[in-house]
Amino acid sequence: MSPAGLSPLRARSIVEARLGREPQDMLEAAVALEAWAGIPAGDALSTAAAMMHAAEPKSKPSAGQLPRRARQRGIGVEALSFAVAVIAIACWAAPLSRSVGAGVVERALICALPTTLALQWGLASRYLSRPHGLAQLGRRPLGLLLAALLVTGLPAAALGLSGVLAGLLALTWTGGTIAVRRGWSLAYAGLVVAASVAMVAGLPAMWVLGAAALVTTVAVAVAVRAPRAPGAPVVQPPGRWSRALAAAALGAGLGALLVVDRSVDWSLGTMPAVALLPSSLASFWGGQHLWRFQVVIPQTLSGVAVLGDDARRLAAAPVRILVGAVARLVLLTAALSVLLLVLASALAVHVSGQSVLVGFGLVALATMFVSLLESIGRAAWAIAGVGAGVAAEIAAPPEVTTMAGGGLILGASIAVLVMAPMAFAVLGRPATTLATSIGIR
Amino acid sequence: MAPAMADRRGIARRASRRPRRALALVRPRALLITEGTYPYAVGGVSSWCDLLVRNLTEFEWQVLPIIAAHGRPPLFELPAHAREVGRIELWSEGLARGGRVRRDERRVARELPAALVRSLIAWDGDHAALVEALTWCRLRPGGVRPVFRSRTGWASFLTALREVLNERVPEAGAPPGVDLVEAAQLYQSLYWVARTAAAPTPETDVLHVTAAGWAAVPALVHKAVHGTPMILTEHGVYVREAYLAAARSADSPGTRFIATRLARGLARAAYAAADIVSPVTDANALWEEGLGIDPAKIRVVYNGMAPPERPVAPPGGRTVVSVGRIDPLKDVHTMLHVARETLRRMPDATFLHYGPVTEGQESYGRSCHALHARLGLGDRFRFMGRTTDPNGVVRDADVVLMTSISEGLPMSILEAMGQGRPVVATGVGGVADVVRGCGVVTPPGDVMGLALGVRTILRDPALAWKLGERGHRRLTRVFSELACLDGYRDLLAAAVRPRGDLVALGAVGTRIAA
Repeated sequence: MSPAGLSPLRARSIVEARLGREPQDMLEAAVALEAWAGIPAGDALSTAAAMMHAAEPKSKPSAGQLPRRARQRGIGVEALSFAVAVIAIACWAAPLSRSVGAGVVERALICALPTTLALQWGLASRYLSRPHGLAQLGRRPLGLLLAALLVTGLPAAALGLSGVLAGLLALTWTGGTIAVRRGWSLAYAGLVVAASVAMVAGLPAMWVLGAAALVTTVAVAVAVRAPRAPGAPVVQPPGRWSRALAAAALGAGLGALLVVDRSVDWSLGTMPAVALLPSSLASFWGGQHLWRFQVVIPQTLSGVAVLGDDARRLAAAPVRILVGAVARLVLLTAALSVLLLVLASALAVHVSGQSVLVGFGLVALATMFVSLLESIGRAAWAIAGVGAGVAAEIAAPPEVTTMAGGGLILGASIAVLVMAPMAFAVLGRPATTLATSIGIR
Repeated sequence: MAPAMADRRGIARRASRRPRRALALVRPRALLITEGTYPYAVGGVSSWCDLLVRNLTEFEWQVLPIIAAHGRPPLFELPAHAREVGRIELWSEGLARGGRVRRDERRVARELPAALVRSLIAWDGDHAALVEALTWCRLRPGGVRPVFRSRTGWASFLTALREVLNERVPEAGAPPGVDLVEAAQLYQSLYWVARTAAAPTPETDVLHVTAAGWAAVPALVHKAVHGTPMILTEHGVYVREAYLAAARSADSPGTRFIATRLARGLARAAYAAADIVSPVTDANALWEEGLGIDPAKIRVVYNGMAPPERPVAPPGGRTVVSVGRIDPLKDVHTMLHVARETLRRMPDATFLHYGPVTEGQESYGRSCHALHARLGLGDRFRFMGRTTDPNGVVRDADVVLMTSISEGLPMSILEAMGQGRPVVATGVGGVADVVRGCGVVTPPGDVMGLALGVRTILRDPALAWKLGERGHRRLTRVFSELACLDGYRDLLAAAVRPRGDLVALGAVGTRIAA
């Protein structure tokens, strides 16, 4: 008998009745005896110890709780808006070239694309991919204003008219990302369509672009001032600067992959901007599939005992996700590219080269690997891949660069080749990735 | 970990050469380390911290809060002789800087996760090994993240975890078959333990830790490096509350195992490192002794209240007031059942509950509202939300109800006694000792007993007033703010004098008068 006057058997029956199961250890038994049977602490502890000695403990299997998959709403609307925006923006090239000259537009796009991608990736890392990202941005109105001034002022100071154009484009596109994050993707698409109609109708293209940039900037100011989601008790801090800067570097690198190849002439009418559409839409689909890895990895590991020895078969499901994402991206890019070529041929529109479409598809694939590696905090590996790609594109031999999009294909292929093994290795070791990369940022 | 030991001794030698500050000329510095409370949250522990910091003006207070990253401003304004010396944000993306791992240390470094598993999660973990591992983190703060992000760190962790899961100690039962998801969760928790250890602490003369959990981690490292004395005050019993939370949760066996073993490991480390453990009630001291603390280290210092005004008789409107967070530990479900039992026989009674839902316990809050609806309590039981005037709301009560399953020495009971109101409460923690003779105490979860107590007092206003006056006298005599402050003043003053004074400190804790 224990000091509380309970036999170990009686104590166990009380504890099991209260817990609805066997106690884990003597402390849990003691807590149950004290909290729900009113036995004083000292007696509860000694009774619990006696109780545990009297029974043969049995280990129970366990399965960790799986994260709930966040429902992504409005993806279809977002993809459609994106497509409309790309087509509309593609329509800007010709009026802008007529207004300020093809060379000016070419230089502006070479500056604006990497700048925009750097800003978009940096903003996404620090703010936009986070639950309270817009609210955090709203807390920094001066920073936003300063950033807008820098984005327009610095290129203008460095490149003159090309810089002004680059700044306005970067401001419109980056502001559009913030508006889309706010859920205003249709409104943003509407804005760029309206701007395209105005340009095609003969209004001064630079003024129309300036107005579009101004409206986007005002929309951003309103978007970040919007109240937080109701019931959100906490404002989570933004991501860290070092990670945002790495993301921005990756964005800039991907932008550089697109513009370093001089065989792709961005000022030639609506092509090749429209040629971005197949790979971009395919990226949407592939990316949607790839993000399931965050759910599939815990699902794969749940119920697999640490003491067990079945680590090898764990790789299959996460790797299948990556293979599926790549397949979706490649197949849809191919299908949409063929459709685009058929449409272009039917409409007698000039296409700068079928190989450009291949190049854009490879860039989309590289982008997918970059986003996977960046999302799990392995930005250094992604920077290595993108850096290698850009370096290869710059150093591409003449026989490659004479083909339309040849440099693009070479650079993106190198980037894919460097990053693909890393991406497969990451998903092929799901337990290590969950513990060391997803859990520790 | 051997090179780390050498470094640690080096720092200790440097520290010992530092001239001891002359107490008569300069205020001694007290580093108050809090965990999820002061100055970023309201509640009993925060009020107690504020009392100490505001009133013990002979010390220069350095406040180091450990909080979840939330970006909110502090809720308490610190007085002139106190300042926040940074904060440790758990689960944030912030990086620790400095002290990266040298090439020749890499083999040692990759064993860090394993060392933490063996010393914190094993039933009989080695305290010295834990202190050595955590001290290494302090000396190499920039090295913690790379170690935990490495494959070798994870591999060493798994090896050590397998050893722990294969342990067979009768008291410990059989560890569950922890799966890889749960193992990854533990790995991340240990990473944050290491990050907490790596956080810098300022030069100080005494460490005052407010919970035997995460708050003890920076303190025990500081003590290991600088030899600074450490006082630990426990309001509840950290391990007990962790086990209670786990017992009531629907978590998997592995998740419960991880949560409770980690809490136990942290508490054991805190107890081992503390020079003095000062629970706020004798009941907690019993737990602490049961968990292995040398009784000679325990000094009970009761919570206290400012001298209350002369009480007035209860209003007689059959109003039952409860003050406390909506939290499983407060067992609000039992309170709702008590209300239903009371209202069956006494339909004109009114129950008013003051207090917010604990952060992270929103689902419990929803379950309370659902139960309230299911029991059909309507307006007879109202959730009033947070109050800024606990004394005022208690003054409007005829009886104060408390149904907690875990308490230290609850301020809400002291506030009721201060206003001359009778108390009906569950006899957990120090409640029974406090309420003795001035209310009704039942076992936890005893709906019928609690409802009977409430009805008896509501039906007899004369009895209510008599119990209330008795409680008021008892509060003035035993649980005074001055006695509480004197207790901590003596403890802190003894700590900043040569070490022997603290160890030999005599009857600092007041014993409850019969």
